[in-house]
Amino acid sequence: MSGDAPYLTSRAGILLLAPLVILLLLFFVYPLLFTLWNSVYEGGLTVRAYEELFTSTLFYKVLRTTFVISFTATAVSLLLGYPVALHISRQPPGRRVIYLTLVMLPFWTSILVKSFALTVLLGYSGIINQMLGSISGGQLNIPMVFNRFGAIIGMINYLLPFMILSILGSLLAQDPNLARAAEVMGAGRFRIFRKVTLPLSMPGVMAGVIINFTLSIGMYITPALLGGRQDMMIANLIDFYTRQTLDWPVASAIAVVLLAISGILVAILGKVRGSQGTMGAAA
Amino acid sequence: MMDLMSQNTKGQSPAMTSPAPMRDTKEPAKMMIEVQNLTKQYSDFRALDHVSLSVRKGEFVTLLGPSGSGKSTLLNLISGMTAPTSGTITIDGTDATNMPTNKRGLGMVFQNYALMPHMTVFQNIAFPLQVRKISKEEIRRRVMDVLKLVQLEHVADRRPRALSGGQQQRISLARCIVYNPSIILMDEPLGALDKKLREDMQLEIKRLHAELGVTMLYVTHDQDEALTMSDRIVLMRNGRIEQQGSPAALYFEPETVFSADFIGSSNLFSGKLKTVDGSKALQIDGAALSVPQAQSASFADGSDAVLLVRPENVRVGGQGAASAEHNSIVATVKDTLVLGGVVRHFLTLKGGVEVIAQDLNQPGMALPSRGSEVQITWRNEDARLLPADPSFSKKQV
Ligand SMILES: Nc1ncnc2c1ncn2[C@@H]1O[C@H](COP(=O)(O)OP(=O)(O)OP(=O)(O)O)[C@@H](O)[C@H]1O
Ligand SMILES: [Mg+2]
Repeated sequence: MSGDAPYLTSRAGILLLAPLVILLLLFFVYPLLFTLWNSVYEGGLTVRAYEELFTSTLFYKVLRTTFVISFTATAVSLLLGYPVALHISRQPPGRRVIYLTLVMLPFWTSILVKSFALTVLLGYSGIINQMLGSISGGQLNIPMVFNRFGAIIGMINYLLPFMILSILGSLLAQDPNLARAAEVMGAGRFRIFRKVTLPLSMPGVMAGVIINFTLSIGMYITPALLGGRQDMMIANLIDFYTRQTLDWPVASAIAVVLLAISGILVAILGKVRGSQGTMGAAA
Repeated sequence: MMDLMSQNTKGQSPAMTSPAPMRDTKEPAKMMIEVQNLTKQYSDFRALDHVSLSVRKGEFVTLLGPSGSGKSTLLNLISGMTAPTSGTITIDGTDATNMPTNKRGLGMVFQNYALMPHMTVFQNIAFPLQVRKISKEEIRRRVMDVLKLVQLEHVADRRPRALSGGQQQRISLARCIVYNPSIILMDEPLGALDKKLREDMQLEIKRLHAELGVTMLYVTHDQDEALTMSDRIVLMRNGRIEQQGSPAALYFEPETVFSADFIGSSNLFSGKLKTVDGSKALQIDGAALSVPQAQSASFADGSDAVLLVRPENVRVGGQGAASAEHNSIVATVKDTLVLGGVVRHFLTLKGGVEVIAQDLNQPGMALPSRGSEVQITWRNEDARLLPADPSFSKKQV
């Protein structure tokens, strides 16, 4: 209600918002419109770029790869992230801060550095393969980078903090008395998790999945550095068209399609989330 | 200057009901909860200090006390949500000191209701029955029965947050009684409700208690609630039991200054006991008060003591000289408040000691004017002599 902030007039509000609005217009809305324009204007309005795109087998292949990789990375990130979030949520506040710092650490490291670090760890003569080799007498060497596995590992490394933080948020927002009440009523730990903790954390899970998936389908550097040749993702395809074939309209068209897909996904998942909004949402 | 006595004007004079009829008079009283020497130590703080308490089958026992006195701690130890540092807990004859919470078979009602927001009212109440692996039809029947009992059948399919606070509290009561626990623990269940609703719910809980014959351990810091609802009140202070007994016993026979001050309104005169003409009198600033002689026998001459006189026992404008059975002193009227059914006089004695007197309001009653001098009287049989409490001295000097 406006009554909550009587000293903030709508004019002052506009003034306060102005810097952000200008920034967004300049560096977000304008490039976006420019891209859109680029995809349909080649000396005159045309849909040539889209026609080329939708008849290209490469585009469909890359689209499928993108979805498979993004889905896998998001699913693994969820499976790995949930238990971590659950564990952190059950720590006393002091220790929780330490654990959270550890979770946040990847945020503060450049994605390039992380990717190279992973090569050192997982590469052909990386630490893990050297260990495997020494215990197997040189028999065992698992290729873990420059293939899909490597791409997904690298992506998960980047995605996990987003998943953990959004799940943790909805775990911490739960009234601890709910689990206590269930316990007094006779419920065991597993039932409490399945019937109380898990359903109440669904908003956080959905948010984490949305963030992870949209980040995944736009991922560029990690799959390029850690993935194999056949693991080209949409962002890499855009790069291919801008730099190799110099076909900017098609590159723009791909970007527009990518944006549309992300938008539709967010809308769909948001719907699911909305229908479960009655759950939890300890507003 | 309000300090030579402590004035507890938190509540009106409490509605005293005749003591609840004893249940189980034929059988020997069976103890449902027995707590012995229970202690809870947090790193540098003792929240509960060697508390022993027994609750009989069917009894309504209230833990009353100021904030931080250890009421919730005691309740959480009994429910198993906190582990004791030392001592034992026996529930229904079984040692439960180290029993997991979900094996104790208790019912509990929380202050903020603790209803599951993602379940409907029906699902909420069905939850403890599902835990007990009861058949679907049986669950349906029992949930609807208990909803009828709390008169909320029409909200079965709603979510808790679509209910008012009072309705939510009744649903949390329903969820608790649906699986017939023999003991129900309640931690300030009415704390979040407004006064009118709280009074309705007090009656409702009393009714359910009488109908179900369940053993009740109830936490509140509201003395009126404790006085109206309980068979027995356990008054807590700093992690210990200060005094326990029936509401009437706590009101009329407090054993300590703390009890006297916490329950009901009170005039507390503190001073030194002196023997004058063979009978003891309490020397306060500027006056000597005669005290109940039988009670004074256990006090040494010259010892510090506190005399408790309830405001409703002080008469304003009374006649008669002071005697061994009677106190009669001159006081100055500072203020008179008419509070609906009662009239409250605020007075000062010669030495500056303040006194509150309370009368029933009557039509055409003549009220003393401010600043006038009146005679105030009380009978010694209505007064109580208590040992001085050093931790109360701050309030009194
Ligand atoms: N986990 C804890 N660590 C340290 N001290 C605690 C902890 N839990 C409770 N205490 C302390 O124990 C004391 C008793 O707390 P308790 O909750 O039993 O009080 P209470 O009588 O229920 O008070 P209220 O009426 O405010 O609910 C308080 O001083 C509290 O600060
Ligand atoms: Mg409490």
